[in-house]
Amino acid sequence: MALHAAVKGKLISVIGDEDTCVGFLLGGIGEINKNRHPNFMVVDKNTPVSEIEECFKRFIKRDDIDIILINQNIAEMIRHVIDSHIAPVPAVLEIPSKDHPYDASKDSILRRAKGMFNPEDLVR
Amino acid sequence: MSLGTAQDANAPSVAEANELLDKIVLKQLHLMEEKMRCELNIESSIKNGSIHLAKSRYIMGQSAVSTARLPTESSADFSASTVCETVEEDGIKQIKVIENDAENTVNPLRWFGVLVPQNMHKAQNIFQNTINFIVECVNVQVQLQTNLKYIGMLRQYINSVN
Repeated sequence: MALHAAVKGKLISVIGDEDTCVGFLLGGIGEINKNRHPNFMVVDKNTPVSEIEECFKRFIKRDDIDIILINQNIAEMIRHVIDSHIAPVPAVLEIPSKDHPYDASKDSILRRAKGMFNPEDLVR
Repeated sequence: MSLGTAQDANAPSVAEANELLDKIVLKQLHLMEEKMRCELNIESSIKNGSIHLAKSRYIMGQSAVSTARLPTESSADFSASTVCETVEEDGIKQIKVIENDAENTVNPLRWFGVLVPQNMHKAQNIFQNTINFIVECVNVQVQLQTNLKYIGMLRQYINSVN
């Protein structure tokens, strides 16, 4: 296991509301790299959806990010982009926020997993 | 995982393939349950942390614990103190939380002042712990995705044989 000790760890990025970002950054996941690109984005009620979408796509393209955390209510705004991301890395994890409890029926991965229990699929 | 064609001598029979499919689907159901359990853990953890953030906000003032204190693109660069790495154990890729040993890490508490209330420290501990829950959840999610792929392949194989 010591063989890959020299490999630099990958980042956890976050797209979320104020409390989620402040909390997780307090937890130590925040980074601003040499090119001055942060690995977090604070979304408030005035943030345009296009900006969230752009930021999400940027995080997906970065190869130093392994996990993207996104509040479920924000994920709902850019659902089409999240649904189209099927690669396992970076893993996109939808997390609840203090105002929006977790809803399993909205989660992209669980919806895909449930999709295989469609009666139509089982008949085939 | 190569499934081959129905003509292969070593190809599994339909019964074997169906049995394997059953096993994977059952595992998938367990994983789905596990994922929901992890998400609920994350939820309660975030709520706990948020209460402590709110208490700190009450003590220090509204703007003292806000995004205004977070570093921006114009601030100096620094490295994350908590990162994750992928390790392979028994053929399964697992993500683990590790402490970054880079020199330019910062203590995030310093963004909010030199003498921060005890609640801020508590919030920090809770959110650090939440990161462990997050990584646990991501590992389950990765397994879910891998299984989805296998199920698709098996179904395709069974359809091609039938």
